[in-house]
Amino acid sequence: MGKVRSLLIKSIIPVAIVIVSIWGIGAYGSQSQPQEGDQKHADVIMIDMLKAFGKLERPGVEFLHDNHTKALEKTKKDCAACHLTEKDRLSLKFLRLKDDSKKQVMELYHSRCIECHKQIASAGEKAGPVECGGCHKEKPGVISIRQPMGFDKSLHFRHTKAHENKCETCHHEYDEKTKKLFHAKEKEGSCRYCHKEVTEENRISDRLASHIACIDCHRKTIAAGKKAGPFQCSGCHDPEQQAMIEKVKDVPRIKRNQPDAVLIKTSKDPIQPEARMNFTPFDHKAHEGYMDTCRVCHHEDLNACNKCHTLTGTKESKGVTLDRSMHQANAVESCKGCHDLKKADVKCAGCHSFIDRTIKEEHACLKCHIKPLQQTTEPIPKSEEPLMAKALLDSRSPVTAPFSEQMLKDIPEKVVIKALAQQYEPAEFPHRKIAQTLLKNIGDNKLAGNFHPDQMTICQGCHHNSPVSIKPPKCQSCHNKPFNENNPLAPGLLGAYHQQCMGCHKAMGMEKPVGCMECHKEKK
Amino acid sequence: MSLTRRRFLGWIGAAGASTVLGRNADASSTVHFKGYPDSFAILHDISLCVGCRACETACNKVNELPPPDLPFKDLTVLNQKRRTTAKTFTVVNRFENEKNPKQPIFVKKQCNHCLEPACASACFVKAFKKTPEGAVSYDHSVCVGCRYCMVACPFEIPAYEYDNAFSPRVMKCTMCHPRLLEGKLPGCVEACPKEAISFGKRREILNIARERIKKHPERYIDHIYGETEMGGTSWMYITGAPFSQLGMREDLGITPAPELTSGALGAVPIVVGLWPVLLTGIYAISQRKEKVSAEEQALAVAEAVEKSEAAAKQKLTGELEKARKDAQKDKDSAIKQAVKKALDEAASVKQEASDV
Amino acid sequence: MSEKTLSVNKSLLTPFNIFAGVVLVIGAVITVLRFTKGLAAVTNLSDNNPWGLWIGFDLLCGVSLAAGGFVTSAAVYIFGMKRYHSAVRPAILTGFLGYALVVFALNYDVGRPWRLPYPFIVQSGTTSLLFEVGACVALYLTVLFIEFTPAAMEWLGLKKARNIVVRLTMLLTIFGVVLSTLHQSSLGALYLIAPSKLHPLWYSTYLPVYFFVSSIIAGLSMVLFESTLSHHYFEDKMDQTHLNENTGVTLGFGKAASLVLAGYFTIKIIGLAISNNWHYLTTGYGAWFLFELLGFVALPCFLYAVGVRDKNVKLIRWTALLTVLGIVLNRLNISLIAFNWQLPSSERYFPHWMEIMVSVFIVVVGILVFRFIVTKMPILYEHPDYKDTH
Repeated sequence: MGKVRSLLIKSIIPVAIVIVSIWGIGAYGSQSQPQEGDQKHADVIMIDMLKAFGKLERPGVEFLHDNHTKALEKTKKDCAACHLTEKDRLSLKFLRLKDDSKKQVMELYHSRCIECHKQIASAGEKAGPVECGGCHKEKPGVISIRQPMGFDKSLHFRHTKAHENKCETCHHEYDEKTKKLFHAKEKEGSCRYCHKEVTEENRISDRLASHIACIDCHRKTIAAGKKAGPFQCSGCHDPEQQAMIEKVKDVPRIKRNQPDAVLIKTSKDPIQPEARMNFTPFDHKAHEGYMDTCRVCHHEDLNACNKCHTLTGTKESKGVTLDRSMHQANAVESCKGCHDLKKADVKCAGCHSFIDRTIKEEHACLKCHIKPLQQTTEPIPKSEEPLMAKALLDSRSPVTAPFSEQMLKDIPEKVVIKALAQQYEPAEFPHRKIAQTLLKNIGDNKLAGNFHPDQMTICQGCHHNSPVSIKPPKCQSCHNKPFNENNPLAPGLLGAYHQQCMGCHKAMGMEKPVGCMECHKEKK
Repeated sequence: MSLTRRRFLGWIGAAGASTVLGRNADASSTVHFKGYPDSFAILHDISLCVGCRACETACNKVNELPPPDLPFKDLTVLNQKRRTTAKTFTVVNRFENEKNPKQPIFVKKQCNHCLEPACASACFVKAFKKTPEGAVSYDHSVCVGCRYCMVACPFEIPAYEYDNAFSPRVMKCTMCHPRLLEGKLPGCVEACPKEAISFGKRREILNIARERIKKHPERYIDHIYGETEMGGTSWMYITGAPFSQLGMREDLGITPAPELTSGALGAVPIVVGLWPVLLTGIYAISQRKEKVSAEEQALAVAEAVEKSEAAAKQKLTGELEKARKDAQKDKDSAIKQAVKKALDEAASVKQEASDV
Repeated sequence: MSEKTLSVNKSLLTPFNIFAGVVLVIGAVITVLRFTKGLAAVTNLSDNNPWGLWIGFDLLCGVSLAAGGFVTSAAVYIFGMKRYHSAVRPAILTGFLGYALVVFALNYDVGRPWRLPYPFIVQSGTTSLLFEVGACVALYLTVLFIEFTPAAMEWLGLKKARNIVVRLTMLLTIFGVVLSTLHQSSLGALYLIAPSKLHPLWYSTYLPVYFFVSSIIAGLSMVLFESTLSHHYFEDKMDQTHLNENTGVTLGFGKAASLVLAGYFTIKIIGLAISNNWHYLTTGYGAWFLFELLGFVALPCFLYAVGVRDKNVKLIRWTALLTVLGIVLNRLNISLIAFNWQLPSSERYFPHWMEIMVSVFIVVVGILVFRFIVTKMPILYEHPDYKDTH
């Protein structure tokens, strides 16, 4: 009996150990995600540059920069406590200018961080960890909510005002020959045109450049006693703080000697008769106002599009031809792509969510490729192109509200839909009011105004697939019984009504009418 | 229990006959059933559904189901996720729209009328049939109530009348098959005001779905749910949000359910044919072994007996010989003694006579 | 014998009898409820959980544990191991009663039990593995019944009939093994159709093979377990042959069980490797799977082997109990615990107390019938009239 018992014990214990250890591993592995309620920080810097020297022995350290700047404030220390100066600018590295070796960097961090923490702790204040695991956490304990930061027109204006329009304060170019930075007047562009994601030889990354330029300047300005932007991480990168950045309304136009109107030539040939498509006038001044940054369209540099996007494409344009760059759907840099995105606006989506993205009407091209005012065979001198462009732009007649008196008489005030009224009463709706509202939604919007051929284009939002007319065909002409084999994509009458009306209301974000009873009451 | 040749042949014959009598089971087929030609299908455009529950109302009316606990106009039921029950062939559920929290997504759920239904494959009285019209119909007059169909259905659709003691039925959407035969539309299809459910021949429905996705790539995910899932269904779905967020499993695979069990079923006739042979063989071998060991044992016993008999015989003859010799010796010595005694007696008598 | 019957009459109010009586009464009440108010009144079955304890325990466990019949009769008659002969009748009886109770329990679970013959006489769904199960179980029950009748006939004195039936033994045994292979494996194959509902660690294309092999293990262990109980409660009914052969049976079956368990463990690991689902082992379900595999397959394999080596009959008997529990655990895992694992816990199934009661009721009925037969008929002993006819 004793033999059996000892045998059972001997066999059960290993089994139990195996089970418990596997369970433990499983439980251990499954909790690698930070839980809800963990700290959300915008200033998390991951200290793991040692991975450039080989595989990391311990996980990287989640360093909360703002905590440290705040702590330094208390002790009246400044950035120099951790950042060395190099060429009158602060090095972004911790207490060093370059990474020499794994040992050097590691020992630097360990000795200085832990020493400082110990000092503060001995002074009785709250300090950082001193044991290995306190910094090198196995499980991520913080969630980074850092949002990228950028300039928009408003912020740029605040800076130009503060620096009295001295562009050279921030904008520079690099001279290969003299190996020096210099200011190229009226050639200023976004920092990102040169400073990319990664530091290249002789060109620092966008991240380094912006911190060196921005934070350094802010720091110095504040030290001089003047008002400046933030130098804490969260000041720029915390989404809440970003929302609090003051926005200037009606930013005056940036002065860079940019054109007001541009004539986009579709070929190298003069206008007629060799060129295939009419040249397109482009209202550059107006478009400057529509965007928050120049970068939206000028995505690589601040030059004319056809510098890279030639008719046949170049290496710089990655093969994207002029035509593609102007018409590419879903690309915000292209004209048509951006216009398509604007159609998703709540004021427009009611009709435009139904309308096909592909251009069908021939006259749509002519909205941009405007017919020339005069037929000439002479090539246009370059100096006259802007004038020609302006003339073409002025020749347009955008649609405006309101309807004329005659139109208002022709448009029925109320429409009663009696068809299919079985369970519900006929649906009455304010037809004229809807038409007027849609026209009013165009408002000052030049895009809508110029692209809708005339006021009655509005009607075609609902009265579709038929020529524009005061007396459009009844819906029942095309929509009758559902699931017609000859016209499988057209809904039946019930579906057509509900999809059109409810679809438009949904796309325009209307809160009523939405339910069944709000359009038609139930029959008693 | 000995195995005669006649008996052995008889058993083999019986085994062979039983294999022949079995039905053919196509275990591994590379042909997928694409549905009867001209069978109907239904497309549910989830982006159009507004959760008005008109379909539920119509279904309840057409199938003469008992009235619901809460009226169909009560949209608070959408706060919970529901499944089909014995009284509801179809339900509409509401899901969060991550892209646009103000506009939730509504999905109608009902039997998907698979091309190769799991329920029909699982039913051991063939109560489910895939009709040429596309509907998977249920015959309650043969149903035993084993509920294997409910286990088999990957979409968790069939429901059971557990509270009925005498005639419980499996309840699920019938695609209004009787109405289809009359040329009418299914109740829900007819009732939907948004035409979020389109009806037509399966290949047409697929075309419509593909067209819609092509026309509005920003509105739909490029996948028609039900085109290939579980071998294809007659009820298909297109939507803008991922299907897994809408309570529709994306891990079901494309293998039709009958193929999952056809391998096991295919093994049955093989077992029936092969096992008797194997077992009879083992029996024969074990019998033979026994026989051989019995023979060997008998041989060994016989030898041992013979040996001991011979030894005994030899011993006996030896003993007899010895006894005879001993007896002879005794006899001789006795005779000698008697002769000596006689001679002595004669000598003494002579002495006596000479004395006188 | 007469003194024994007298003593039985005297002590009818034994604790077990009282318990059994209570169970029978409650069971009868629940039966009436089930057939007048429907399944909803006595079960926790739902649309998401159509199969509950009655299928998971009464059907799956019942069928696997009744497998001792075909295993023992195959060992004795086909493999010619005559030294286990005394174990055949009890094994056949356990098997027959087991299958009879399975059919009995099925009548409770199925919605319209009077239609149970429909698949054979009205319309056959031959694409269904359930048809396979039903047909083979029905046929096998018949086989077991016929195999059992000699004992009854001996008791009733029907000599001629008994001799005819005994001559059929070989045929019945082969037929029984064929049918057992088919339905034991098909019970596992039932779950092949629901890969989306059964946890990947338990779901495998080899489910039919697993079920068949584990049924052999169940049969061997159940014979040992039943023999342990019989020796405890019915020793006076056993004849000398039975008592003499007992140790041999225990050691021999223990050896066989150890071997088959080792094979079963191996094919389970192979199945894991083929489906490449190792990562599930680190989850909660994985721990439960390992608990079943290591504690109820690997451990009994080891213990059986040790028991056989040391000729430790007691260890083998306890291991048999452990193995029986392991088989029950495996069947319950596949039918109830790992089934519908993807549902949220609010929608999972736990049996109603009445379902548990009915299962207890069925087991008690089985024990009572077993007791009746074993005390009256020549199961644990050879009838004096037929002593030399084996």
